[in-house]
Amino acid sequence: MAKMTRIEALKVIDAEFASDPLVITCGATAREFASFSRRPTHLPLLDSMGLTTPVGLGIALGYTGNVGVVDGDGSLLMGFSILPTLAAYGPKNLTVIVLDNGQHASADLFESQAMHVNIAGAAKGLGIETYECETGDDLKSNIARSKNSNSVTVIFVKILQGNTPGIPFFLADPAQLGANFADALKSK
Amino acid sequence: MKEANAHLKALIEGLGDWGLEAFVYVPSSHSAPVIRGLEARGVKAVMANREEEAVGIAGGMALAGKKVAIVMQDNGFGNALTALGTFANSYHTGFPIFANTRGGLGEYNSMIHSISESVPDLLKRLSIRVENLGVSDSPEVWRSSTHAVAKLAQIQRRPIVTLFEALHPGLDIA
Repeated sequence: MAKMTRIEALKVIDAEFASDPLVITCGATAREFASFSRRPTHLPLLDSMGLTTPVGLGIALGYTGNVGVVDGDGSLLMGFSILPTLAAYGPKNLTVIVLDNGQHASADLFESQAMHVNIAGAAKGLGIETYECETGDDLKSNIARSKNSNSVTVIFVKILQGNTPGIPFFLADPAQLGANFADALKSK
Repeated sequence: MKEANAHLKALIEGLGDWGLEAFVYVPSSHSAPVIRGLEARGVKAVMANREEEAVGIAGGMALAGKKVAIVMQDNGFGNALTALGTFANSYHTGFPIFANTRGGLGEYNSMIHSISESVPDLLKRLSIRVENLGVSDSPEVWRSSTHAVAKLAQIQRRPIVTLFEALHPGLDIA
């Protein structure tokens, strides 16, 4: 059973990746994250559903430090072909965190296929180092494990359904987000 | 496996002149000599399963400061359009895309022209610059154009597409 809301999970991730590059999936996830934390090392993808993990993989292949990805079950399912690519090329500095609420919460709360299939099992079946958790403490310890791992890891986190009410739209200029992010990586 | 002809060798040389560090590709028999030629030079290669995946990976590498390119076929742009528009263009990620054309002289597939012929217009409607390299252009032009396009994509922080003619390695128009 899920125990955390999305925003509670994001606060754990923000603390654990405070100075590391973090690619964040679109919709309510990007909005909720930006409502409490905005850093130059954050790259929220405002409308590129399905692309979060591929972008994170590219960054991790071009950067030597730890890189995090915050994806959703719906977004990962939209670009599921990235999982074998992660298995084949995934660098050890990459941690992909999938916040799984079993729904497309940004798209009128439609149920996602993650309600019916075991997407963590698919990642495991491909040979990817995979962790599953439901609590903030477990998420924190899994991120620490991932950062010390010798391979790419994917952490599946069961979260409560729905969105945090009262979160405003995130209307940042993507060109500025991209430039700030590239500069932040260059200065590290 | 067919070796690169003089034109495709020139494309490989042009990318070398630019200082290509990595490339992402979607497998293609027409582009195979380029892919194998770059691999033989020790350029880091990543194979993507779909074209939008390639755009995401290459864009991420570009934001991390790498000189990266995509090698693919033009009929795959249908898959890549949303990624090109909402990510690569919008976030100002600069990298060149080299895509072999399909559906022209020597084509053996009866329907591939139905997407390939529209690709230049589709890309232009997305405000993506398109350059062309044909078999009537000299290898010297292929080399210098390849270098110049890659450099421009990096300077402008935009994806730029080069559509190049490469007949199926199994066909010979001579």
